[in-house]
Amino acid sequence: MKLADFQSLFQQRVLAGSGEADKPLLKKLRPSPRGAAPETLLDVYQTGYRIRLADFVSQDHPGLRAILGDEAFDALVDDYIDQCPSRDPNARWFTTGLPDFMRENARWRDDVAAVSMALFERAMVDAFDSADETPVTVQALAGFAPDDWARLAFEFDPSLTLLELVAGTVEAYGAAISEEAPAKVDKPAAGDQIEYAAVWRVDHESAYRQLEPDEYVALSEARAGHAFGDICQMTAFQQAGEIAPERLAQSLSSWFEDGMIIGVRVREDDQSSNTPSSA
Amino acid sequence: MEKPPPLGYGLGLRPIYYEEILSSRPPIDWFEIISENYMLAGGRPLAMLERIRADYPVVMHGVSMSLASTDPLNFDYLRQLKALAERVQPAWVSDHIAWTGVHGVTLHDLLPIPYTRESLAHVVERIQRVQDFLKRRLVVENASTYVSFVDSEMSEHEFVREMAERADCLLLLDVNNVFVSSFNHGFDPVAFIDGVPAERVVQFHMAGHTNNETHRVDTHDQPVCDEVWALYEHARRRCGDVSAMIERDDNYPPLAELLDELQNMRDIDARILKEQALSAA
Repeated sequence: MKLADFQSLFQQRVLAGSGEADKPLLKKLRPSPRGAAPETLLDVYQTGYRIRLADFVSQDHPGLRAILGDEAFDALVDDYIDQCPSRDPNARWFTTGLPDFMRENARWRDDVAAVSMALFERAMVDAFDSADETPVTVQALAGFAPDDWARLAFEFDPSLTLLELVAGTVEAYGAAISEEAPAKVDKPAAGDQIEYAAVWRVDHESAYRQLEPDEYVALSEARAGHAFGDICQMTAFQQAGEIAPERLAQSLSSWFEDGMIIGVRVREDDQSSNTPSSA
Repeated sequence: MEKPPPLGYGLGLRPIYYEEILSSRPPIDWFEIISENYMLAGGRPLAMLERIRADYPVVMHGVSMSLASTDPLNFDYLRQLKALAERVQPAWVSDHIAWTGVHGVTLHDLLPIPYTRESLAHVVERIQRVQDFLKRRLVVENASTYVSFVDSEMSEHEFVREMAERADCLLLLDVNNVFVSSFNHGFDPVAFIDGVPAERVVQFHMAGHTNNETHRVDTHDQPVCDEVWALYEHARRRCGDVSAMIERDDNYPPLAELLDELQNMRDIDARILKEQALSAA
């Protein structure tokens, strides 16, 4: 048998798991000098494959396991391994397709709370090893003249992801990873309620916090490059029942404190004519 | 045969030990990293590596080159590996005599091949191409295997010897893998070590494995067993001063236990040197 044919057959049997169809490959194996059944030896590769990939998913998705429970989580992982074999040589990327798989798969797409958790946890994993940048402090603003403040725009850490989630996702995740984790973490109710969250990296660790709706809008617009003054004029802030600039200034201050901002610049006039998308 | 100078006694760098290594600066001469774990845009793994690299020699050990696969070489992967090597400046770069998948799929395992003339020519050609691309000699390791094939035309050590000579690569002799495979397939591990070209061996791996009675599995989750220590002594006598290290990938013990294993290597080597000095006198 040619090497390419042998590898196709071997891989097919590892992917499928042990069974009757192993026979052509088993005929190719030399007998064990220790009396091990050939099926047992081949199964080292077959079982090892699934254990290894399942372990990658478990490591990246403690919250998903917590809200689904072991049985449903294991069924999900089995489906994912069966239908989405790894194609990247780096195991780091095996789990990255899980939320998309869930959204596209009939068995899982209706479980919006589970999909929400999967999306949140993918953002946590992505933040952990995204590109390095150095955050700036609020002192960076001191270098700008007050007349320029309305035209200030901000550059954000590349690890920052903004998420619209099923309400309760963030709390459930916190409970799942708590050192005093309860025996069971309640799955968020899949109603119409949503929550917003930011995920980013600070001091080499992934960080997260919930955002109020207006802060989510402001942060989204700021990350899109819109100027401080333009965001203040947005409908969301005008309707917030608060003095928009003060509310936005509070948010801006927290973005600096959280280490989300890596640069500040004054937008040129031709750029500031762009209208924020939610205004 | 020009070889990189020996580095002494090393340890596989794993995240669980980052802080202790940085705070206590234990008596470890060098570290081996799993290359793929640092082929990332940024974050803690690269930051820790940078700090450790500032004080210790590092070698890069990959698990995904898939040298024996009949898929085309993955040059995206090799470009990332080369970029990491440029950043880390390792003493050398290693991977395995194994394949990890075909048809674009990767099984994240080191899979066995039949030791045939066809496999040999295929692996030799790929090592040569990788060496040309990386512009460095590759260090290639014998993998643990659990099955062997009726189609094989030569022994594993014959395959390794001819591969190394034809590809002009260097060798990483995994002593535990020699033992595990010899147990599983019934060959003499001493004959294996005697059969590989000692002048090309630049590194030893030592690790623990799981004994399932009828077969042993290379799990890296146990201390090195007595049989593997005995084989290490033989490998050391045959290959001389070679960089040696402990791999541990699960069931992590306190770092002190791994340091004890490194000390055991030092003690064995000191005893061999003493014997050799006495016999020379």
